[in-house]
Amino acid sequence: MNLSSRMVIVLTAVGLLSGGFLASVGILTKDRIALNKKMEIERAIVSVVPGSVASVTLYEEKDFIVYGGKNEAGDLQGFAIYTSGVGFQDKIVLMIGADASLSRLNALAVLDQKETPGLGAKIVDRTSFLVYWENKDFSQPFSLRKPPAPSPDSLTASEVNTITGATISSEAVLNIVNAAREKVKALREEGKLAPGGTHAE
Amino acid sequence: MPSRTASQDFLKGLWQENPIFRQMLGMCPTLAVSNAVINGVAMGLATAFVLIFSSFLISLIKKLIPNQVRIACYVVIIATFVTIADRFLAAFFPPISKSLGPFVPLIVVNCIILGRAEAFASKNSPGRSVIDALGMSAGFILALLILSSIREVLGSGTFLGYKIMGAWFEPWVIMVLPPGAFITLGILMAISLQLERKKREK
Repeated sequence: MNLSSRMVIVLTAVGLLSGGFLASVGILTKDRIALNKKMEIERAIVSVVPGSVASVTLYEEKDFIVYGGKNEAGDLQGFAIYTSGVGFQDKIVLMIGADASLSRLNALAVLDQKETPGLGAKIVDRTSFLVYWENKDFSQPFSLRKPPAPSPDSLTASEVNTITGATISSEAVLNIVNAAREKVKALREEGKLAPGGTHAE
Repeated sequence: MPSRTASQDFLKGLWQENPIFRQMLGMCPTLAVSNAVINGVAMGLATAFVLIFSSFLISLIKKLIPNQVRIACYVVIIATFVTIADRFLAAFFPPISKSLGPFVPLIVVNCIILGRAEAFASKNSPGRSVIDALGMSAGFILALLILSSIREVLGSGTFLGYKIMGAWFEPWVIMVLPPGAFITLGILMAISLQLERKKREK
């Protein structure tokens, strides 16, 4: 057998074997990876909508999903908004929890971010950032307090803290939340957030 | 100095030919993921898995591969194991998979693996290749462990996520940022070279 046909045969064989092997690995792990993603979303919904144990998807478009958090009886406890926006380095993905009348923001959860470690990445930390986003007024746009207030009590209901040294990351979260707020309110006006309309608020 | 015995095959990876401090290979993952011990160790283990299995397989089929296409074959074999490691982490350890991000797929181009395939596995028996790969992996994990411990303790005041520094401690944020990786690696390399020089003078 001459050299070039040997090269072709060996490379093809290695490629085919590897491809076949990877296809089976892909099939074996696919469901579990999808389940992990789903569970992460579900956990985030339950954490930002107090009293909820399950969720329904009420509205969905690319990178913007509104979930309804429900208690055991199936009553709507509030909305969880999955949304994202540009951070300092990459996309920030948030889950925003609001009550059923969209007048109060319960809490935020950060699902994904690649902000600077030690600075912007503090947006995932409860004590230095997320606690300032709990129980806020959802009826008007949020604004940043800079320099940051020493405790959550010294902020007004629509003010949130800036992380020192990470203004851009703090602003990014603020803008994502404000944009999502506008959007979810508009959707509600249009009557797009009622799932079959059976569950009272 | 060519190694002769199995223990020499293994031990040279730990110190004499340590992939990080001696050969200066695999710098990209070393610098990038050593900001926390858990990331460093996970990266070390993932690399070890790929290195051991690809060394074994390459050594096993080395006679079948024509010399002209050997690098292409090695890369396909390495990429296969990397993809397995990546899917495995995503399926069973999602938080680690998330924090390592693109650096797991990048193991494909980690020079330690291709380097060992070319320099050792393609010339030696499967058994010796596995021992060599084990030694190199241990050396890589050791280096990552030292580097990431220093960076995590100084940069976040924690070790494996547990707070070990008192309230007085102000974390040196620079240590978990890229400059901290370069500074720490440079100092460690200087120390290791100094130790080696002392040893030689004796």
